[in-house]
Amino acid sequence: MERRDRDEGEVITFSFPSRLELLPVLDRLVQGITEQMEFDEDAAGEVAISVIEAGTNAIQHGHKHNQEKQVDFRFDMRPDYLLVTVVDSGPGFEPDMIPRNDPSNPEDLMRSSGRGIYIMRRMMDQVDFDIDPARGTRVLLKKLRRTNGRSPSA
Amino acid sequence: MKLTQRIEEDLTLIRLGGQLLGGPDAEQLRSALLAAVEQSSPHILIDMSEVSWVNSTGLGILISSHLAARQKGGALKLIGVSKRIESILSVTRLNTVFEIFPSEEEGRRSFSAASAGKP
Repeated sequence: MERRDRDEGEVITFSFPSRLELLPVLDRLVQGITEQMEFDEDAAGEVAISVIEAGTNAIQHGHKHNQEKQVDFRFDMRPDYLLVTVVDSGPGFEPDMIPRNDPSNPEDLMRSSGRGIYIMRRMMDQVDFDIDPARGTRVLLKKLRRTNGRSPSA
Repeated sequence: MKLTQRIEEDLTLIRLGGQLLGGPDAEQLRSALLAAVEQSSPHILIDMSEVSWVNSTGLGILISSHLAARQKGGALKLIGVSKRIESILSVTRLNTVFEIFPSEEEGRRSFSAASAGKP
């Protein structure tokens, strides 16, 4: 299938109320986007898992399950990468959520929490947090496109 | 999330379906697992074949239930793990915590072997 010229990139935005039960809708959207960008199965799975983790954090920690508040997603589909921005408008980010230790260390392996951000960092190429207590939290998840023997811009 | 359980003499088989996410569903699962450990057998076999995905909150529930089972001399073991769930278990190294079996028969056999090995 011939790919469309995406030199300028394409942007998809999506918002939904802070309900965990709606995350499968997000999952479907991410699947569609990674298919469009021709990510392989492993990379597509990693993007989906990471976006769902970010969405879970926004609902649970950012909005405290307040269904009146919307979580915003922006998907920047660039020729070389996908950048997903997840925005919540909650009271602010809890820095303690960022594990200082590797939760896969033997002594931390059995902890029941503190894995979400670690999972995102392991599965994406770059993960950044833009934290503003007045506005909420913006999580930026970047995944490079790796095509089979082709230049991403070919 | 869907949850059915079969309490047998030596183990409890729990079949899960849907998403393992957190929220009210998570509490349902946590309660069911802990009740199984406390009231029937600490040997828990979880069939994940109908689970489409798990997030970090869901992993936390599995871990706390496994710890509860271990305290009673049992374990929580998994069967029917999809590639996607396997990758999240691998990244978090939880594949070294949970025993994972390709079939229900092998999962059952592992509990029998563990029981037989005890004095």
